[in-house]
Amino acid sequence: MEGDVVSDLVWQLAVRIFPSGGRSVENGGHGGQKKQGDATLQRAHQYAMRIIGSRIAPSLANDEAAMAEAIKRQLVQENRSADALSFADLHRRISSYSGPGSIENRWALLYLLRAIAEDQRRERAETRGTAIPYTSTLSGAAAHGGLPSFPSNTTHPKLPSFSPEPEVSPGRSYSSRNGTPQNQSWSQSSRAQSPSSPGGVLILTKDDGNAKAAAMREYLEIVQSESDISEMAIVRDVLYACQGIDGRYVKFNKDADGYMIDESIKVPKSTRTLVRRLCEVGWLYLRVKNHISESLENGPLEAIGTVGQAFCAALQEELADYYRLMAVLEGQAHHSIPLMVGADSANSVGNYLSLRRLVVWLGEPLVRMRLMAVLVDDCKTLRGGAMAGAIHMHAQHGDPLVRAFLRRLLRQVCSPLFEMVRRWVLEGEIDDYYGEFFVSAQSVKAEALWREGYQLQTAMLPSFIPEPLAQRILRTGKSINFLRVCCSDQGWAQAASEAVAAAGASASGGILGYGEIEVLEALVAEAAGRIDKHLIQIMYKRYRFPEHCLAIKRYLLLGQGDFIQCLMDLVGPELAQPANTLSSFKLSGTLESAVRASNAQYDDGDVLDRLRVRMMPHNDGDRGWDVFSLEYAAKEPLTTLFTEEVMGKYLKVFNFLWRLKRVEHALCATWQTMKPNCMIARLWSNKEGGQSQLTAVLKRCQTLRNEMNHFVTNLQYYIMFEVLEYSWSNFLEEMEEAHDLDELIAAHDKYLGSILEKALLGERSQLLCKTLFSLFDLILRFRGLADRLYENAREVQTRGDSSLRSKGRSDSLTKSRPGQRKLSTAQLSGDFLGTLGEEMDGVAVEYSSLLEGFIAQLPVQQHVDLKFLSFRLDFSEFYTRQHMGMSTTPIRLHRTPIKMQKPSFGAEPGLV
Amino acid sequence: MPREIITLQVGQCGNQIGMEFWKQLCLEHGISKDGILEDFATQGGDRKDVFFYQADDEHYIPRALLIDLEPRVINSIQNSEYRNLYNHENVFVADHGGGAGNNWASGYHQGEQVEEDIMDMIDREADGSDSLEGFVLCHSIAGGTGSGMGSYLLEALNDRYSKKLVQTYSVFPNQMETSDVVVQPYNSLLTLKRLTLNADCVVVLDNTALNRIAVDRLHIPNPTFAQTNSLVSTVMSASTTTLRYPGYMNNDLVGLVASLIPTPRCHFLMTGYTPLTVERQANAIRKTTVLDVMRRLLQAKNIMVSSYARTKEASQAKYISILNIIQGEVDPTQVHKSLQRIRERKLANFIEWGPASIQVALSRKSPYVQTAHRVSGLMLASHTSIRHLFSKCISQYEKLRKKQAFLDNYRKFPMFADNDLSEFDESREIVQNLVDEYKACESADYIKWGMEDRGKQVSGEGNTSGTVDSRVAPS
Ligand SMILES: Nc1nc2c(ncn2[C@@H]2O[C@H](COP(=O)(O)OP(=O)(O)OP(=O)(O)O)[C@@H](O)[C@H]2O)c(=O)[nH]1
Ligand SMILES: [Mg+2]
Repeated sequence: MEGDVVSDLVWQLAVRIFPSGGRSVENGGHGGQKKQGDATLQRAHQYAMRIIGSRIAPSLANDEAAMAEAIKRQLVQENRSADALSFADLHRRISSYSGPGSIENRWALLYLLRAIAEDQRRERAETRGTAIPYTSTLSGAAAHGGLPSFPSNTTHPKLPSFSPEPEVSPGRSYSSRNGTPQNQSWSQSSRAQSPSSPGGVLILTKDDGNAKAAAMREYLEIVQSESDISEMAIVRDVLYACQGIDGRYVKFNKDADGYMIDESIKVPKSTRTLVRRLCEVGWLYLRVKNHISESLENGPLEAIGTVGQAFCAALQEELADYYRLMAVLEGQAHHSIPLMVGADSANSVGNYLSLRRLVVWLGEPLVRMRLMAVLVDDCKTLRGGAMAGAIHMHAQHGDPLVRAFLRRLLRQVCSPLFEMVRRWVLEGEIDDYYGEFFVSAQSVKAEALWREGYQLQTAMLPSFIPEPLAQRILRTGKSINFLRVCCSDQGWAQAASEAVAAAGASASGGILGYGEIEVLEALVAEAAGRIDKHLIQIMYKRYRFPEHCLAIKRYLLLGQGDFIQCLMDLVGPELAQPANTLSSFKLSGTLESAVRASNAQYDDGDVLDRLRVRMMPHNDGDRGWDVFSLEYAAKEPLTTLFTEEVMGKYLKVFNFLWRLKRVEHALCATWQTMKPNCMIARLWSNKEGGQSQLTAVLKRCQTLRNEMNHFVTNLQYYIMFEVLEYSWSNFLEEMEEAHDLDELIAAHDKYLGSILEKALLGERSQLLCKTLFSLFDLILRFRGLADRLYENAREVQTRGDSSLRSKGRSDSLTKSRPGQRKLSTAQLSGDFLGTLGEEMDGVAVEYSSLLEGFIAQLPVQQHVDLKFLSFRLDFSEFYTRQHMGMSTTPIRLHRTPIKMQKPSFGAEPGLV
Repeated sequence: MPREIITLQVGQCGNQIGMEFWKQLCLEHGISKDGILEDFATQGGDRKDVFFYQADDEHYIPRALLIDLEPRVINSIQNSEYRNLYNHENVFVADHGGGAGNNWASGYHQGEQVEEDIMDMIDREADGSDSLEGFVLCHSIAGGTGSGMGSYLLEALNDRYSKKLVQTYSVFPNQMETSDVVVQPYNSLLTLKRLTLNADCVVVLDNTALNRIAVDRLHIPNPTFAQTNSLVSTVMSASTTTLRYPGYMNNDLVGLVASLIPTPRCHFLMTGYTPLTVERQANAIRKTTVLDVMRRLLQAKNIMVSSYARTKEASQAKYISILNIIQGEVDPTQVHKSLQRIRERKLANFIEWGPASIQVALSRKSPYVQTAHRVSGLMLASHTSIRHLFSKCISQYEKLRKKQAFLDNYRKFPMFADNDLSEFDESREIVQNLVDEYKACESADYIKWGMEDRGKQVSGEGNTSGTVDSRVAPS
């Protein structure tokens, strides 16, 4: 309705402006026609309507006062002060007039008037007809809802001939200030180019009046003349090609590997090139398209996997966009919109979708298509995480367009991956049928589940997930599985759901997916933190890991001294037997007795049940000592920490400590045979000369024992303080701080490793350890020697003493020496003593050199600090002095071997 | 198989210090005066069966024999709160109840006469243990019963249980109060012979030093036996902590003693203790470090044996061995640092003829006994200066002997019948020999000492000496 009214009014306006009287209106350089006037009216009307409908934004301020002021100034500038005054007066009057019949939109009125005046001035100045004033003023007025008004009465409607007013520059015209640049350019070009209208009639601008357009047209005509086919046809073919379809002229050329216009068709070279360029997108499109169809239709799902599927889906979505664009373009190609009103321009010059426009249209799709094609090429052989990673690498691009595009793509591509991560981290499930996840599972025994059950597949790890995060992800799911499988625990689910809640709260609304690495990190951190904590709790509280470590320390590392002593007492005689005669059943019974006889009996039954005798494989000639050891049978899930390898190390430490204990035990036993209140002491006090040899041998025996005892005791102190307790207290600290099972395992391994190293059982201490074991063997040999010495001495003594004894203690100690005793003494100092003395010397010399070697090696150890040990061994600097004494005087006094000569009188062979 | 230890407390002194020892042990193990395990004593970790045996689940009885020739002290024990602690079958009081009258010979003689009764008791107690480690004798060496009968028991034990360890806590008389027992030099000398020959380890508790410590360190002007005995019981219980609270090392008496006594005759140990407080003396808990403790333990003022050495001699004195038993909250890593400081400052002189060191045993403290100190330490050491104590005994003996004083009391008994005083001479010689050996230990040539000595003596006697000498010479 309203539209009709406006149209009507515009029509009337047009009729007013172009009165189709008897005089025909000449129209540019085109040939006139009888009905020209009507046609002109028609076109003007259409044109005006189009402009009205185009809603060009106003750039004028709706300000009556300013407008009035501008008019006044204008008049003053034109030296028409009087007019200016009367204008002001008139304006004041029209402003003050109110009531019915008054004008409300005075601004619009003023504007219209001024625009008309302006137009007239320009007409005068240029003396050539122009359409600008209409476009500018009309558009302005129409846009502002001002009434279309008639030209002022003072101006002639035909505006044919006004005197030029050169002082008004075009730059100051409203049109140039307010019109669109396009309009301006038209106006300028029309001013410059349009042929003079002889009749002085106002001419509406047409494109054929435009010189540039004319040139273009000319050019196109030339082009056209060089072409067999129209551009429009080419465009259409190009659009086909862009969709991978051969057109009539544009076809796929295998040799050139691209779409091109058929060689036989005559087109300008530039067009050919352009087409070739435009059709690249089609070529690329085919690649992408083929990839999708190959992947989705031909290949089995295993081959591409879910990520590959997502990738194809994402590509397809992109293609769908592309198709939409194609449809639009095709539509435009069919319904070409002429650029300008021009009844006679029937040729295709004005085709909206020219090839050049296509270049613009296809610019962005080409970039995308190219990217897609590159991705398709890159990802052909990739799957899963690797594929996501490869695409991610392309997203590292400076072009925000590329980045945004790839980001969109990646979000889709990665979504299966992130879902896998989510399930793994929160449920411990691997939802990966096609091997795309960067965590892979192996089926292993429960005890190996933690260490070997799951692996990080670095190939499948997309590069946007950093390795540490991946490790954490791996561990979290592993923890869940460990809890589920090895601990039969359900509590983790609670922890997982808490983690989800906490992560949701902390990640500020981000959704898990590509580009939201913080969300992933937050989720993993929450889940890992809670689940690992839960796991540690389970290990500590339910499976009592610390208690078992302590138990191992007490039993395998000999911390429970009274138990070890009992065991050694009980099992000792048996272990002296050949290894192959031992019954491990019997030894287990002995172990039981040792437990019952010591404070171990108060220990937890669960702990004691795990303590077992273990017989190591034996070789010929092995004694029980060589094969006996204790074992602590760890159960699920602690076997994850106490693996066979770990227990093997404990075994090694046990064997060492047990051996050391045995040596200590042996030295104690030796001391007991030579202990002060044995009758030897009384013998000692004898002034019998024949016993001086015995005295010497005994003394040598005692001091040697003391030296050995010193060594063994201080080695023990070192082992206790610097090795076991030191490592233990470190371990306790680290155990306290362990956040997850890996850290716990590491802490425990470190603890055990440190014990092995410092106890000289490590790889690098083999030489030292060998010397040490030689020392041990020597001490055991010494013990046998000492036992023999004292046994025989005692026998002689008993024989000598018995006569003394028989007299009774009350009988004052008589100094009479029975002859029998003398004989015994002589026998003692005979062969037997000589041999023993020599043997003792041999042991002493060997011991001395071995020990010296051992002590000398201590400070040069690079890998382990043994200064504590050497400090203890040489606390009184005895060895330092000895060493210095050695270098100055060749003979050390107390090392001088006591050479025993065979006695001249007969010795009783039975004593030897 | 606890390594059980049977305690024999003989004579007044022996029973009095023994009683204090058991009191302390009961406290530390949470055993009531009646021998019943207290309800709170559940923390475990301690080994009660070394010194106690269980009559039933809750009831602990000391492996102790209470022996005296007069009833006074034992009666007072049996009338005390602790009367139900001991096994009444383990109490021996001589029928006549007249004691030994400060006469070693009387004590020894009576011991011989009641040997059977006492040995039965000992055998019964020994049979009741799985793997008897040995005996501990508590006695004084100056009186009659503890010294004389103690000596007899040492010999008897040596005979019958030759493989078992015999340790004594021997109280040496207070030299400052001569009034006490005039014949103490005789008694001491005769006992010392047995301690030298028949004991494996003698922990010397010197009343002189104990008194000095009570006066000087604890500010008690006239210390009673009860007060000095609390020092003694502290030392005794501390020296047994490693046996009662098992750990890596020193879990048995043999192990403990074997490291302390490298050469059999030098088996006299002196003790030091820090920090010293009398019972119930309220002290604010002080921070004591391991180094503090170890350093103080090497100071003479904390040693419970008087030093009669002259300055020159004192500088010659050397440690043959040291064991520090440290109780309380100790960081094991401090031990090494402390040892280093001690060596740097040369706070301890060691023998030169063999390696030696300060052994440090860390031991738990009873959770049931509140002490004023975080860390405390006991030193057991073999030190050559102890010879001066023996020298003093000898010189006192000689003074008395020269005067032929009080010998009649001894001649009444078979050992000295017919004016045979050779036991005195032999004892003197043995103790002198002990002194010599300790002196020899101060020299780097100790190893050669025995042989030279013998060689000389042998050649003097013109026996097989010629051949021996040639044998000793290096070929
Ligand atoms: N430290 C300490 N020394 C004591 C105690 N009782 C006695 N003595 C010392 O022991 C010596 C006396 O020996 P007693 O133990 O009294 O004598 P006994 O062994 O009972 O012998 P007789 O009384 O002669 O039968 C003196 O040197 C006293 O100083 C005591 O309770 N504590
Ligand atoms: Mg008495």
